[in-house]
Amino acid sequence: MTNRYVYGIVDGEPIEFETDAVHGEESVYTISYRRLGAVVSDIETTDPEETDEDAQRHDDVLREIMDHDGGRTIVPMQFGMAFESDRALKNVLRGARPAFRRAINDIEGRFELGLKVVRDEDATVDVDTVEAGVADALEPIAAQSVPNDLFSDRLVTNRSYLVDRDERETFDAAVADLEETYDDLTFRYTGPFAPYSFVDVEIGAQR
Amino acid sequence: MFVLDDLLLRPFVGIVDALHTMALDELYDIEALEDERKENQLLYELGERSEDEYRRRKEELEAELEIAREVHDHLRSGKIEVKS
Repeated sequence: MTNRYVYGIVDGEPIEFETDAVHGEESVYTISYRRLGAVVSDIETTDPEETDEDAQRHDDVLREIMDHDGGRTIVPMQFGMAFESDRALKNVLRGARPAFRRAINDIEGRFELGLKVVRDEDATVDVDTVEAGVADALEPIAAQSVPNDLFSDRLVTNRSYLVDRDERETFDAAVADLEETYDDLTFRYTGPFAPYSFVDVEIGAQR
Repeated sequence: MFVLDDLLLRPFVGIVDALHTMALDELYDIEALEDERKENQLLYELGERSEDEYRRRKEELEAELEIAREVHDHLRSGKIEVKS
């Protein structure tokens, strides 16, 4: 039996294109409830294993949707959401409609960028000074930011930024300036991603 | 007498049980393993760790994480018993 694997939720025109989708599928399409649509691909299981390859495909598809048709806004789902029927999926769209609409409003025209600042192995740095310098440079440009785990003692800061598409170049330039300012720090600047860190939609019934 | 002994001993058995659970928690620390998995990825991305080294460590950590998750599942379900 074929199930639907969900990448995220869009507003407006349905999306359909060929791509390398999760579990070897070759296209994604939209299941709609009113103006909301879940972008999905077919999948045999409802409990897909998160391999590196499929996690990458999930992210790549989201990025393609963000570039699709002049740039679409998508509320991204975490890896692994699969539904047994279109009906179950439409019920979720209907039930969580206000939450999806709020999330779409929050992230409309924006994407997520990540910045990890890593201290060189033998360097000693004043964390507070670096944090303040990074915040002064980037917070005025970003619409929002959130801290992420400091999973290594080499990490000085680790944040995700929600940035307007129009501010991308300004943000890139500010990060480049920071890199020049701090000699013994490495800046790991990533993205753009679908704004995972800035949406908080709980889906109760997964299937 | 037996009943009395049993009642007196029970709190100590409880403490041993708790200590054993804490020791297992520390030995199979999922959070620490997750952190190390992310650090391995970061060091590889920064070019400080070779692809071979990164892949070897990744496999080791994934295997350790799987065991740690199983131990924690068993701890939660009470399937691991303290034998004295």
